[in-house]
Amino acid sequence: MTAQTSVGRPAHHDPNETKPDNPLKRSIVSGIAVGVPLAIIAYFVTSGLVHTTNADPATIRNDSLVIAYLGWGLGFLFGVGAFNRPIQWALSRNEPTHQDELELAGHRGGAWRYFRFTTDHKVVGIQYLVMGMVLFAAGGVAAMLIRLEVIQPGAKMFPIQTYNTIIGMHGLIMIVATIIMITGPFTNFVVPIMIGARDMAFPRLNALSFWLLFTAVPIFLSAPFFGGFQTGWTAYAPLSDQTALGMDAYSLTILFFVASTAVAAVNVVTTVATMRAPGMSWTRLPILTWGSVASSALGLVVMPSFLASQYLLMLDRTIGTGFYKGDRGGSQWLYEHLFWFMGHPEVYVIVLPAFAVVLELLPVFTRKPLFGYRTAVGGIVGVSSLSMIVWAHHMFVTGWSPTASGPFMLTTELISIPTGLVFLASVGTLWRGKAWMTVPMLYLISFLWNFVIGGVTGIYLADVPTDVQLHGSLFVTAHFHYTLMGGGMMAFLAGVYYWYPKMSGRMYDDRLGRIQFWTMQIGFNVTYMAMFYVGLQGEPRRVGDYAAKFAVGNFISSIGAFVIGASMILLWYNLIASKRRGAIAPANPWNAKTLEWQVPTPVPLENFEEIPIVTAGPYEYGTPAEPAHIAGEGVPST
Amino acid sequence: MNKSSPGGGPQAALGKLSMAGAVVAVAVGAALVLGLALLLKALGAHPFTLKASTSSSTGGQTVAHLTISAYPDSMAGEHGKSGGAHPDWVSYGPTTNLWVPAHALVKMTIKNYDSATALNSPFFGNVQGTVGGVAYYNGKPLKRINPNDVAHTFTIHMFPTAGQPPLDVSVPLLGVADNAPNAPGSQYPKPTVVTFEFHTGASGRYIWQCFDPCGGTSYYAGFGGPMQNLGYMAGTVTVGGGAVA
Repeated sequence: MTAQTSVGRPAHHDPNETKPDNPLKRSIVSGIAVGVPLAIIAYFVTSGLVHTTNADPATIRNDSLVIAYLGWGLGFLFGVGAFNRPIQWALSRNEPTHQDELELAGHRGGAWRYFRFTTDHKVVGIQYLVMGMVLFAAGGVAAMLIRLEVIQPGAKMFPIQTYNTIIGMHGLIMIVATIIMITGPFTNFVVPIMIGARDMAFPRLNALSFWLLFTAVPIFLSAPFFGGFQTGWTAYAPLSDQTALGMDAYSLTILFFVASTAVAAVNVVTTVATMRAPGMSWTRLPILTWGSVASSALGLVVMPSFLASQYLLMLDRTIGTGFYKGDRGGSQWLYEHLFWFMGHPEVYVIVLPAFAVVLELLPVFTRKPLFGYRTAVGGIVGVSSLSMIVWAHHMFVTGWSPTASGPFMLTTELISIPTGLVFLASVGTLWRGKAWMTVPMLYLISFLWNFVIGGVTGIYLADVPTDVQLHGSLFVTAHFHYTLMGGGMMAFLAGVYYWYPKMSGRMYDDRLGRIQFWTMQIGFNVTYMAMFYVGLQGEPRRVGDYAAKFAVGNFISSIGAFVIGASMILLWYNLIASKRRGAIAPANPWNAKTLEWQVPTPVPLENFEEIPIVTAGPYEYGTPAEPAHIAGEGVPST
Repeated sequence: MNKSSPGGGPQAALGKLSMAGAVVAVAVGAALVLGLALLLKALGAHPFTLKASTSSSTGGQTVAHLTISAYPDSMAGEHGKSGGAHPDWVSYGPTTNLWVPAHALVKMTIKNYDSATALNSPFFGNVQGTVGGVAYYNGKPLKRINPNDVAHTFTIHMFPTAGQPPLDVSVPLLGVADNAPNAPGSQYPKPTVVTFEFHTGASGRYIWQCFDPCGGTSYYAGFGGPMQNLGYMAGTVTVGGGAVA
């Protein structure tokens, strides 16, 4: 075995004599204890204040709810301890000692550290993994409810407005889940180790990013209790200007979520730029790192546009501005531009790390160097750059600017070139490789299969003439599920199975993993091939009732969806039961060469006792001249 | 292609979990989703469906009678006296979900308490799909009314799902005067009353909606807000079968 480098002994810490923190401090419990009362107080104080302006009852309720959500968010973050250090700094308190930092990182924290404001990047990674899985479960349940409703024509299960809310909640939950699914768990857990760092550049911001996301979840889940929102996840104005109070939950969720992504993105980019180990040049960076940086940088640019769209919507709804109201000089196109300037690049915020996972894992399971490393990096950076000038293809049929449709069609199709580079690197790596058909490898192949279908069908939606025909149909729904789920989520699942031994210390059950893979693939392709068919026949998306001629396609699609649901339960079962009863994982079960596999399992708190010196690329499999590697001459542990 | 480690290192192997446990997990998951669906169905059910009273005519045909109202706000219908989330939205009441029998003559009465908003399309000033093509406005038969005098329309407009017979009915409601005082003991003025009749065919489910731009000036061309939400200026008509929420 030749690793990218080797590292010294695992870090160990002097068991400190000081008493550990009270576990309830800086925890989810203290967060709720502050957040909930503050939300209630904020609601009634605002209600009283707005009442004095003789506003109508609906306005009073709307304004009060928005302030209550803000109260919850700020209160929870204060309670969880997110602002402790800034407050101490403002009060000129002493700098925290190294021991303080270790405690904050979860040293001696036990399992409770996962429920606290903990700065260790590995804890944050696992928090994100669990959060992502929970969000997938919630969004998945919504998907099951949707497919239950449309398994037959006739809208028999729910009132239409309930159905609309379920559609919107499924959409946004899944978007959030897919945005965080790779950069949340794997970038946080793996990338600092991969580049030879002890932690992220800003550990407190790292924890803050997770708890900001956590803050948003109850807000979003409260939407159905306030009338839901009938807008779908796009929340187009002026419909979103008018819909029920649940819309405020949506907007506030986005405010917290975008803040979370911004904080996380700054952290990832800074970490990779400044904390690489000696010898870890940009051309030796594992490709997951490139994907994480490109995705984070892209998110940093485009996600604030989403925040702006919701902030203006909130102002329209609360204090009566008219950003999106035509009769006050506003424009619904403003909303659409703000939304889609985020909305399309967001696809690449999701997919770039997925590309990176595929490229990261393929050399491991083909025992070959990555084919065309620089080409692949060029593809990732190219996709990231081009993705910011394609958004208006979502607006071909709005009448916004027919003249602009041609250029946007061109830019949209241009993006297939850098995407092709990524595929070239993937297929080139597979070519004549000695494929090791593990569960992660199966998922890598499924990514290539599904994403090609998603990409090819996307060309029809990028072309103006065909998009005019297909826009708003279930063809579009099937297309983006093939890219985000068939591509992105399959890469995520590859990553889950690949890094599970390192993250959990246990091996998963292989037989169950293979059953889970095949049920997922069959269920997925049945669901969305049938959806392509009914979409081409003209069935509109987001509609709970449909004509009888679409019945067979919808029935097949629903059956496929239920198979996906069963498959996801198998995944949950495998991960949870294996954590309890699975075989103990060796440090490097895949014989991989990147640094995360060279440290012990479980990974020590500070990752390395001595910062490693990197002397080789990460994918030097089967090369005749193995580069030398140097052990343990780096920076000693603090 | 192989399943063993080509590096000669440890296998990715592999705890053996119980398949029975996996099956139970899937069954429990499916049961939870189904339970949630049924709970949502129960919780999300529309407040109620107004069922037409029926009688038989001398010819043996079923005759159904249905009376609904249109209000300038939401405080007299299904949203309760507080008006719910949008007390200032115009609404129909007592509910917007209606049930009428199949193969019947439906005699419908609509009381309108709201003032007029001029139609965008004069077409909806015409009475369509009723027996004789007329409706009776305060007892006076008319085939159309002035588009400027229309307060709302009752228009069954959705293309029927394939297999359902068409049901195309549209009746404009005459607005009350802008400055009409409230009737004694009422929060609204004396209503205008329109009556009309139409025939139903086989069972089916339809959407009806107002086509007058009554959604308020702050909403898109008057077609937002209550115009876009069931329970205000839109609802369902179920013909025959069981009443559907």
